[in-house]
Amino acid sequence: MTLIRFRASQEQDVDLSRTYDAVVVGSGAAGGMAAHVLTSQGMKVLLLEAGKKIPVEQELRSMEWPYDHPRRGEAPPGYHAIRFNEYTVRQPPYAKGSAFKHVFSYVGGWGGSDYVKNILVDEKDHPYTGTKYAWVRARLLGGKTNIWGRLALRLSDYDFKGKTHDGYGEDWPISYADIEPYYDKVDLYLGISGHKENLPHLPDSLFQRPNKLTGAEVKLRKSLATMGRTLTPYRAGVTTDGVKNKYRSKCFGRGACDRRPGGCDIHAAFDSPTGLIYPAMDTGNLTLRTNSVAHEVLVDPNTGKARGVSFVDSQNHRTYEAKAKVVIVAASTLESARLLLLSKSRQHPNGIGNSSGHVGHNFCEHVMGPGVTGLVKEMVGAPPTLDDGKPGGFYVPRFRNLQDKQPGFIRGYGFEGSSGFSIFPHSVWGTPGFGGQFKKSVREHAGAFISMGAFGEVLARYENYMDLDPEQKDAWGIPVLRFHYEFSDNEKKMCEDMANAGKEMLEAAGIEVVGVDKTILTEGWSIHELGTARMGTDPKTSVLNQFQQSHDVKNLFVVDGSSHVSASCQNPTWTIMALAWRSCEHLADEFKRGNL
Amino acid sequence: MTISRREMLQATAAGAAAMALPLVNVAPTAPQTAKFFTPAEFALVDEMSDMIIPTDQQSGGARAAGVAAYIDARLAESFEPEPPQRWRAGIQAVEALSREMSGKPFMESTPEQRLALLTRIAAAESDPKTDAEKFFREIKSSTIRAYYTSKIGIHDDQQYKGNVIQPGEYAGYDAT
Repeated sequence: MTLIRFRASQEQDVDLSRTYDAVVVGSGAAGGMAAHVLTSQGMKVLLLEAGKKIPVEQELRSMEWPYDHPRRGEAPPGYHAIRFNEYTVRQPPYAKGSAFKHVFSYVGGWGGSDYVKNILVDEKDHPYTGTKYAWVRARLLGGKTNIWGRLALRLSDYDFKGKTHDGYGEDWPISYADIEPYYDKVDLYLGISGHKENLPHLPDSLFQRPNKLTGAEVKLRKSLATMGRTLTPYRAGVTTDGVKNKYRSKCFGRGACDRRPGGCDIHAAFDSPTGLIYPAMDTGNLTLRTNSVAHEVLVDPNTGKARGVSFVDSQNHRTYEAKAKVVIVAASTLESARLLLLSKSRQHPNGIGNSSGHVGHNFCEHVMGPGVTGLVKEMVGAPPTLDDGKPGGFYVPRFRNLQDKQPGFIRGYGFEGSSGFSIFPHSVWGTPGFGGQFKKSVREHAGAFISMGAFGEVLARYENYMDLDPEQKDAWGIPVLRFHYEFSDNEKKMCEDMANAGKEMLEAAGIEVVGVDKTILTEGWSIHELGTARMGTDPKTSVLNQFQQSHDVKNLFVVDGSSHVSASCQNPTWTIMALAWRSCEHLADEFKRGNL
Repeated sequence: MTISRREMLQATAAGAAAMALPLVNVAPTAPQTAKFFTPAEFALVDEMSDMIIPTDQQSGGARAAGVAAYIDARLAESFEPEPPQRWRAGIQAVEALSREMSGKPFMESTPEQRLALLTRIAAAESDPKTDAEKFFREIKSSTIRAYYTSKIGIHDDQQYKGNVIQPGEYAGYDAT
């Protein structure tokens, strides 16, 4: 592997003496979108990213064959990924006292750990404390979009108006009609693959060419239709017909899309650097500074408004200030809450934007773990077919608590699934014995399985929160987050239903159920954390208004998943970007009018 | 975030361990380049892995795919001291069982005697108790990982069709 050396960060040619129109903290889906929208409106933007800029194609190597890698994709000795049982029996910080050289979140333990060893954070440098939590972080340009799972779904008024529907929690300060035009913009600018279904609870996007299904998936789709449920090709944030963007290629159906975690080295799958940041730099309005660990939003002592951001250079450990007329926080749900809480001043003693005391609270996400595996008998012995090298498998949208009312829980869940042949025959793990019969059986069953796992809405509750640990600091001396979070009965009852409903659906399709998994994975496992600086109309119970603008500080915006009022059960990335687009358009208008 | 996070699928596979194995090519290849295993250990691992995944009409087996050398290289560079120790102890447990069953070390016993030993320790696969039974799970798991990520495993045995450019539509069926 060729090592490309970027200039050391202290040589970064970034002018910190000037006052930018806006400084954006974080370069993932939200920060990238803020950079795109604001620079396209002519604003001069400084983008700060805590991580490094690396030649990510050389990390991902999506088309590499396992046997061309010395460890078949595994990371070198000394790298350790935290396992499920470690999350369960131990308390954070999980890397404390570890003999390993590097410790990663569980994602580093998936097949292909060598491809993400420079993408995931080393838990040794980034501790956290409190209740058990599987916190997956990627610090590099583009953040987690470099390896995201690509499922790109819209929310509906079943989500935005959830309280109106079932009485729980709070409604969002927007409705679907407010955000729909921005979902459209995201679809068109970045590309999305999918199939129209006309479902009120899962609105269609402006789709490019969809994934195809396997024979088993067609069979399940037909059966589900008779139950009033849907199996649709994976709605993927992947351009299959191409977009006008010289940094991206359209999907050509080759690669380790199935390799976990994701990543796409031709950038057909959306990632923030190629999809948003590089085009924004081409406007001439964007300045990027990597290795810049923000730890405080600075406040003008006279006006109480934000005046910039203080950050530590991760390489030379020196502290710098970036000055700006508007501060946009987009560091991820948990890091954004941490940054607000860290930003204490005379005017904002509980942290900037936190007069409500709700920053860090109302945390929500997706609970996952329960799932089913089925054997499709007519596929046993079928000749191998090309079933991967496509953006994803299938999705079964929510079907609970839409028209019906479940006795044990409110809200719902959807299933992600896959089937067919893959580069590694999943049939091996359950095939007993050895020898010629074993080998033949593995071959005959390699393409005969279908599996799906559910993602359910975790209710936003004030009691689930994160605050700053009074003792523990990270590698740069910055206080870390302390978790106070656990699943409630609603999640646990929902998880029981996931396993039962999954079984019922496979059986109804005539698929033999060979595995039912009821294990609930550790809090945080879905990597869909949301809600720690929620929007709302009441400044006493919310942090941001409908434009993700701080109720307290009018030139402070928080444009990532922390603003979400509820988790929905639909994956959040597309909504994060649509909301950020809407808010930043509003921001640019207000900026031009001199209202910020 | 992922399509499928399950490491293990609960497959129903046809029956228990098969008995009628083609007992060919049992001569151990000389381990000139073993980094961790002794020559005798290498020969045992090579033979056992090839009994787990033997050559058949479709494809070469674990020996042809270089499974033992792959396992050897991983153990030689292991960061944790425990896995190499575990393997060495497991091999010794197999040798002890071989002496108990046939009066000879594993590689000096007959093919039929080796098969009898493997059949015995594989029978407890779902709930291994003795060190030799636990070693079967260990070597089977490593053999699987090494074999099905090899050229022979992916292309000859599985006849994997992916990782190719699909210039037009994806393969598969429309959602109609």
